[in-house]
Amino acid sequence: MSYKYIVIGGSAGSFQIVTGILSALPKTFNLPIFLCLHRLKHIRTGFVEALSIKSKINVVEPCDKEFIRQGKAYLAPANYHMYFDLGNFVSLSTEPAVNHSRPSIDISFASAAFTYKSKLVGILLSGANRDGAMGMKEIKENGGLTIVQDPNDCQVKTMTTAALEATNIDHVLTSDKIIDFIVNLNRTK
Amino acid sequence: MPVTPEDISKVIVTIKNYSSYDFSQYSKKSFTRRIEKVLIDYRLDIDKLINSIKNKPEFIEDLVRSITVNTTELFRDPRLWQTIRYRVLSKLASNRKINIWHAGSSTGQEVYSMLILLNEMGLLDQANVFASDINTDVLKKAKIGEYSYRFNLEYFENFDKVIKENPFKLDEFSEVPYEKYFDVNKLNDTIKVKDFIRKKPVWLKHDMVTEGNIFNTKFDLILCRNVLIYFDTDLQNRVINTFYQSLFRNGILLLGVHESIMGAITNNFIKSGLVYQKKK
Repeated sequence: MSYKYIVIGGSAGSFQIVTGILSALPKTFNLPIFLCLHRLKHIRTGFVEALSIKSKINVVEPCDKEFIRQGKAYLAPANYHMYFDLGNFVSLSTEPAVNHSRPSIDISFASAAFTYKSKLVGILLSGANRDGAMGMKEIKENGGLTIVQDPNDCQVKTMTTAALEATNIDHVLTSDKIIDFIVNLNRTK
Repeated sequence: MPVTPEDISKVIVTIKNYSSYDFSQYSKKSFTRRIEKVLIDYRLDIDKLINSIKNKPEFIEDLVRSITVNTTELFRDPRLWQTIRYRVLSKLASNRKINIWHAGSSTGQEVYSMLILLNEMGLLDQANVFASDINTDVLKKAKIGEYSYRFNLEYFENFDKVIKENPFKLDEFSEVPYEKYFDVNKLNDTIKVKDFIRKKPVWLKHDMVTEGNIFNTKFDLILCRNVLIYFDTDLQNRVINTFYQSLFRNGILLLGVHESIMGAITNNFIKSGLVYQKKK
């Protein structure tokens, strides 16, 4: 296996799982992780700090054209879409919301799928709208690995259910198993 | 429908040959997304699109309007506006004149936010405010200064943070009614900027990719937020150089909160937080 990039999407009910993932990762974790999480529009600051508290790896809200480094987590900044470009850098845009969301998970997933193809693992967590379903389909069609949180394990299951309807998902896992899976990606490298 | 990189190159070359616009240094990905959207909205394929560019000059203007992204909000990113208030404008207050350029002003909300802040700080009379955009439609909207009330409701919170509250003195609170600056009509779902603010700025069509400083003056403060993200690094640096040339000594450049200056031109500015100050 040679997965080199992880992209995680989540909305309502995903915050705890993301902090769980970040706190479980060792300092030596050597893949970049992209986080596209919906949040309340008026809460513009403090989110990256909240995620950082328990994380051993560095969590940043990247600037446009920021170079992607291993072992760092990149959180899509509030009110921007986050894309991934050839040449290994992030780009941002303020184009209109997609699925009422900016950042939109579909946009980040589709962009990562196009750029990283079979080197990508896409993970979709709990959430209350359908954002991310089309993105998972793109990841699957570009040869990436798709994982959704088991809808029965989700606080809100709309998002993962939509993804399961949209495409053939490789793994349906509980949040604990998702954490194990990501930690193991480090070791199998 | 999938658009190939060759299609995109053809579109860019055709626009360049048939107009004054040059998109060759736009971020390819973002430009491709916009073209894909245009093809859907206008129900065209690439060949028809290229034909329209060649044969209908008025279509090129429509196309440019569709390609450029127009995002602006009242007091977007209050943290930046607090910086503008307490670290930038406060230092310019003793100037006889304060020249400000909003590059890529879109539908005007950033410009009106600035004017409201200048007025609250008692600096409106000494300010010269210029606003420019490549897109004539948004310039027209900006001049009218009328927006959806409901849509802007959430931005009144930003207004409160910048205008009413003081981040350094938490017990200080100035009661500034929205009606001081806006005619609010909830029934029609409109807010309209009051004339004493609305008539103040000079609005100009300007293409920062092909034109330099067209204002016959230099500036104390230039704002260009969330425009450079659509350009490639070379073009970004060229435009930043235009801003550099257009600033007075010690003048300030403000970009979007997730944009930064990269490469050799960094040496021409002193960076402190979100503020870029021209050296020398």
